[in-house]
Amino acid sequence: MKSRRALRRALLAVAGFALAAFILAPFLWALSASLQTESALFKRPPDWIPRPFTVANYNYVLTGKVPAAYEQRGLLRSPITQEARLLPWGLQNSLLVALGVVTLNLVLGTLASYTFARERFRGGRLALLFVLGSRLLVPVAVAIPIYMILQRLGLLDTKLALVLVHGAFTLPFTIWVLTLFFQAIPREVEEAAMIDGCSRFSALRRVVLPLAAPGLAAVGSFSFLFSYNEFLFALLTTSTVRSKTIPVMISAISVNPDASYTLISVGIIMAIIAPIAVALVFRRYIVSGLISSLGERT
Amino acid sequence: MGGAALARTRRGAPAGGGAVRTASSRYRWGSVAPVIVLVALFTLFPLAYAAWTSVRGVLLTQPGSTPFVGLDNYADVVRGSAFRGAAENSLLFTAVSVPLVTVLGLAVALLLNQHLPGVGALRVLVLLPWSIPLVSAGIMWRLLLHGNFGALNGALLQLGIIDHDVPWLSSPRLAMFSVIAAHLWREFPLPAVLFLAGLQTIPASVLDAARVDGAGTWQRFRFVILPLLKAPLLIVLVYETMISIAVFDLVYVLTGGGPGTATTLISWLAYVITFRFLNLGQGAALSFLISLAILALISLYIRIVRVEGERP
Repeated sequence: MKSRRALRRALLAVAGFALAAFILAPFLWALSASLQTESALFKRPPDWIPRPFTVANYNYVLTGKVPAAYEQRGLLRSPITQEARLLPWGLQNSLLVALGVVTLNLVLGTLASYTFARERFRGGRLALLFVLGSRLLVPVAVAIPIYMILQRLGLLDTKLALVLVHGAFTLPFTIWVLTLFFQAIPREVEEAAMIDGCSRFSALRRVVLPLAAPGLAAVGSFSFLFSYNEFLFALLTTSTVRSKTIPVMISAISVNPDASYTLISVGIIMAIIAPIAVALVFRRYIVSGLISSLGERT
Repeated sequence: MGGAALARTRRGAPAGGGAVRTASSRYRWGSVAPVIVLVALFTLFPLAYAAWTSVRGVLLTQPGSTPFVGLDNYADVVRGSAFRGAAENSLLFTAVSVPLVTVLGLAVALLLNQHLPGVGALRVLVLLPWSIPLVSAGIMWRLLLHGNFGALNGALLQLGIIDHDVPWLSSPRLAMFSVIAAHLWREFPLPAVLFLAGLQTIPASVLDAARVDGAGTWQRFRFVILPLLKAPLLIVLVYETMISIAVFDLVYVLTGGGPGTATTLISWLAYVITFRFLNLGQGAALSFLISLAILALISLYIRIVRVEGERP
């Protein structure tokens, strides 16, 4: 019995290590590749720990100082390296768009969900179903019409366009989650506030919102990650450094056959820092938000 | 499912006493209008427009002429040379990746539900593949799987398992499984988190009772744990099916649909028809066919899970 338990624990430990390796290997190799010189990356067997260790690739993207290893092929590389130099702007665009989408979700999503959760009114149920049902759309199907709308509005190649489109795609899930969160808050709490003279809106702001903070953190994280990671619409509607997001930029660099894989790796690392930070910091809320989206009270 | 919970709470929440003023109609509509306008602008109108496009000949290569063609676009796209291959690819991709993602997610959840040192750290790590942009996940996997200097070939050569580079991404047969592997890595966290949450709601006393009654590990899993995971299971199947039919970003950066058409999945084909061939009519028609396929599969799952047990 004792040895069986020991065996079980050993097997579970092996499984745990295998899982950690499976999750981390792609990250660690991208990190390692970003810290190598280009010729070192092609070595067989590979240097798992970069040797020579160099931050020249990062230095190039951030300051424009061409790595010594490139000088020999500098002319050939110049088109792609120009593209890599724009990565910081792409990162900035991505963060601004994602924060805009978060704001939009928190403000509009909260207002609407609270009404959906508390008020019964003619057409209200239909409106809710419409908003939620819109999530079933296949993005490719609506891509061209959305492009045309943005063109008509003069919003092509702007960050605002991405905020609006991403907002429209994230709000349904936000409203779904927040409506459930608000319904889980006992009415008595706000009734007390309203008897004390609060309006519907100020009851929401002063009493309900603090109670729903975990839900707000969850939908904030979801909408940040969705917007930051979204690719198709960002690819179609942006065309210059004014609004290109970092996924669009690294995909462009990566499908360039002339690309330097060390610089691509720098792009990957730069692109994943923000979402990983959000996932780690808001993990608790993300997980509980996912669970409550199943409609189970937590 | 959530819909039931919503309906239940709606019914179970009567208007709370005379003291409460209900908000004015202006407030109600004012608070939901911005969302409805925004969502309608970017879904209703585009959808109607796509429907219109799908029954017209709309080629950006022939501007100014959009004749009504009825269902010809649908017929042409289905009869087209690329459709069959793409449909088969998507079928294979979905049939392999949905069960794999589900089983791996469940296995990881069972592991993370154990009381072991380090499990807390694993629970944190597990969210990482899910949190990053899909295109960066795809590029990371290309660095791993690249035929000439990929890390996987490097490691396998070093360990003596292979003696020459394996063309993970440039062999038609292997490329599909490479895309599936990358997809699996990206997609398993969500099922794992949902299943883990389900597992944590199962009281230890229920499992203990089953053990006392003589149920072994497998029997406890099959007859106690699995039935209690039906709700997350349905969600996972529905969601992962949608995702694997709609997968796009990954193909874009990992294989570009190739080599040849080996990894041309159906949604990639819709993209290619629309944005490379600029045949908007056929692209819209194919997109609608994809949506129909997704809806059909979802209703199939819901039926299966309903039949299995009286309540999902």
